[in-house]
Amino acid sequence: MALLLRLLQALALLLFVGAATAEHTSNWAVLVSTSRFWFNYRHLANVLSLYRTVKRLGIPDSQIILMLPDDMACNPRNAFPGTVYSNADRAVDLYGDNIEVDYRGYEVTVENFIRLLTDRLDEDVPRSKRLGSDAGSNVLVYMTGHGGDQFLKFQDAEEIGAWDLADAFGQMWEKKRYHELLFMIDTCQANTMYTHFYSPNIVATGSSELDQSSYSHHADNDVGVAVIDRWTYYVLEFLETQVTSANSKLTLGDLFDSYDMSKIHSQPGVRWDLFPGGEQEGRLRTVVDFFGNVQNVEIENANSTDPGSLKEDLAEIARLVEKWRKRDEEYSAIIGNSSQSQGEDTHSSTVQLKSKKPVGPTKMAEDSSWGKRLVGLSVVGACTAVWVAGSILGQSA
Amino acid sequence: MTSKTGDHESPQTLATSTAADLEPSAQRVPPPETPEAVQTRFRVIAAFWAVIIFLGFPIWWKTTSIYRAHLPIQDMADWADGKTCRPVFPLEIHVAAPTMQLPESQHLVRTTQHALDDLNDFAAHHLRLKLTNDTAAYTAQGSEHSTYVAGNMVDDGPDTALTVRVVSQEGLATPRSELRADTTQLDIFYPPSQVPIPSSSNPPLSVFIAEELQRLYSEEKATIAHILSGDNSGRDSERISRRLRRSMKYADTYHLSFSLFTPGSAPSSWDIEAAVQEYLSPLLHAFGPISNFTIDTQVQLYATFSPMAPPPIYDEEESAWTLKKEDLSAFINAAEWPLNPSIGNGPTLNFILYVPDPSQSPMIVKENHASSWIVPQWGGVFLLNPPLEQSGKSGSQTNPAHITQESLRPAFMTFSHQLLTLLGTPTTPASLPLRLQSLIRVRAATLLLSASSTMGSLARLTESLPSIPIPATVASSVSTTLSHLSSTCSHLRDGRFGAALASARIAETEAERSFFEKSMVGQVYFPDEHKVAVYLPLLGPIGVPLLVSLMKELKRLVAGWKARRRSTS
Repeated sequence: MALLLRLLQALALLLFVGAATAEHTSNWAVLVSTSRFWFNYRHLANVLSLYRTVKRLGIPDSQIILMLPDDMACNPRNAFPGTVYSNADRAVDLYGDNIEVDYRGYEVTVENFIRLLTDRLDEDVPRSKRLGSDAGSNVLVYMTGHGGDQFLKFQDAEEIGAWDLADAFGQMWEKKRYHELLFMIDTCQANTMYTHFYSPNIVATGSSELDQSSYSHHADNDVGVAVIDRWTYYVLEFLETQVTSANSKLTLGDLFDSYDMSKIHSQPGVRWDLFPGGEQEGRLRTVVDFFGNVQNVEIENANSTDPGSLKEDLAEIARLVEKWRKRDEEYSAIIGNSSQSQGEDTHSSTVQLKSKKPVGPTKMAEDSSWGKRLVGLSVVGACTAVWVAGSILGQSA
Repeated sequence: MTSKTGDHESPQTLATSTAADLEPSAQRVPPPETPEAVQTRFRVIAAFWAVIIFLGFPIWWKTTSIYRAHLPIQDMADWADGKTCRPVFPLEIHVAAPTMQLPESQHLVRTTQHALDDLNDFAAHHLRLKLTNDTAAYTAQGSEHSTYVAGNMVDDGPDTALTVRVVSQEGLATPRSELRADTTQLDIFYPPSQVPIPSSSNPPLSVFIAEELQRLYSEEKATIAHILSGDNSGRDSERISRRLRRSMKYADTYHLSFSLFTPGSAPSSWDIEAAVQEYLSPLLHAFGPISNFTIDTQVQLYATFSPMAPPPIYDEEESAWTLKKEDLSAFINAAEWPLNPSIGNGPTLNFILYVPDPSQSPMIVKENHASSWIVPQWGGVFLLNPPLEQSGKSGSQTNPAHITQESLRPAFMTFSHQLLTLLGTPTTPASLPLRLQSLIRVRAATLLLSASSTMGSLARLTESLPSIPIPATVASSVSTTLSHLSSTCSHLRDGRFGAALASARIAETEAERSFFEKSMVGQVYFPDEHKVAVYLPLLGPIGVPLLVSLMKELKRLVAGWKARRRSTS
């Protein structure tokens, strides 16, 4: 009997934990291409395709951090200026007219990437360039570029090691900056990049094993270079053809089962062991848990009278407003009587909502430009005098 | 030729030395070094080594070492584990019984306190009753005072959470309670016959008051218990965790963004400034002790739904356009509507006023005919269906070009409610000042825990990443945080919740600052091969001759020393 009770308790606990951990409140995506130059067109196309997909599934631009180290759309070698395609049929212009690149060009560095993940940024860095995730956020991190055994090259100049990446995720976990994290990487020897991860709740997947290359899928003869990588191509194919709406019930298990080595030409890998419940539990997460922005809106019932319901609150707020109006009137009456006493009292009674005046352009130049010219002229004159004197003295010597 | 002469001469020189290996290839030995030359060489080598040891090594050590300020790791870990402080929430409740005699009222307070203590099952949160007599003055002042609890914390005494007025009323069979909605006062009316007799140990009036108070604070108690223990068991836990989930994370400053979206060209203006001033600023002022707010507004015309979103459907019965509940999450066209302006440094709460196209007006939610909904941790949406105007000869209907302040009233009342919800205000009791007070306590508890856990994270980070630099500013932030945490704790113990929240806010800010210190970037991991690759090309060419010469010199010194010892012995 006691055993049965214990068992039931454990079961209840398990159910509860399941229900509690399944919940996340926001979605963030960090999409990084790490390579520069025209012949790496496909890496930017990879990232832009993913960007388009997560945006389609509902993650707003403010929650997508897009890092593009080069500008393929405006590259002089681009035969189709202003566009980026990830397919030779050129059906979808990935650059489109609504794209927000957060880190561009030489801003895409290892340091900036790690600062982004750990939020160790200057205070004046705008929120759009920050990863504002919290303990309830599911984060998708996608990286692509050229890599090797336990490193990924950034812009031909530096590289991020698997240890640094693991430490960055470790710090994110310490500061509760993610709830669950899906790490995807498409590069040569990609699976080595997630071997050092140690923080929990991470699912990692990569395109190729140690000593394997990742290959491009196909080239567009008019663009002149390869336009997409194989692994990304087939991941996208799954996402685009099967995950058609933000309400899709397809799971990560389905996504990883769709990997076909004969098509990808390398051995994709998945790492489950950091996830609580391991593979069994991780496979049940839906794809849109990471690629979509599942938000359960709460409709307010205008007719219910529960405590804290809309109606109750409205009454309370109306009372508050009424009270303040009365107070304002009283104060204005007092002020009418004695015009001096409009000190702190009026300040506390009305919230100051000053409309900020737009700051107009101001002339940067100082007024003393003539003085500066004079100084410059005298310096030049003095130098000339010294030179002339020197040459005369030299001649005479 | 020369080799031959060498061969010839070698037996002569070798004859003087030991005759062990007489080989024909042995060469002519250079003349013995002069002692001055030996001395000079010794000095040169010593000079090189002196430079390396006294200059090179310290410089290398200095430039490659990482500055790590001393942090009180153990204290930080203790805070994180909750060993240093057990937060308690003693609420002081004033009881005034103007119609009773003093001994009677004292007895009433005593018995009520007993009953309360018996009912309470969560020790950290308890109510303390205190008898006050100057009721008239108190009620007038108390309500004012408690509305802005944290605004004036000059006095050292605990904040008054609630004033209970016990008044006798004729014609009542049982006691009756009434919570004044705009103040922090609970009126208890009792029949004169129920005045507690000093001999009775458990008078019904005391029990009634205790139960009322218990009911009033049950939600707050459950919330604080939920926050402190982090467990998800209990009766209200599902409701509370849902509320905590949809509310924003605490921030010092929130940015409120009010946006008017419409798919057409009208309405193109709204009386937003007056509406904010009139309907919202009282609430924001009441929130003053908890958070600051900044506001911006925008009007966006021709804002269409995203092509993916399911369009509204015309419902004949309702004669209205309806949106399905499950499609509401796709209502906001996040890709194209310019939301989330990166203004200021606080998180943004978005409030969207959507005026549907005249051809789709009125628009409501299908399931319950509501016109507003909350997007958790993001903001709120309100569908405003203004009366349409007939325009000109064509007879087509248009939206009014301007929305007046009066027609914004329902929208802003709803936004105010959504703001309350999004900021995590408890739903009970039904008095706004009490709810805000309750929020102060809940926020103080949350901030205390979050700052403590940040301290723990920082301590663990410091231990686990030995290569990360820790500047002195972090150490000072940590000490500020720890001192403010302990003052929060003592304020809580004394029941000064406004002051506790103020301290906790500072502690949280400093804790965040110390953890997110910008120079603490752990991008310094080098595998050992990398170190070898860096140092070998540099040290190889210099190191080999230096080491070899050092060894030679040592050998010579040892040989000389041995020879001297042999000659002396």
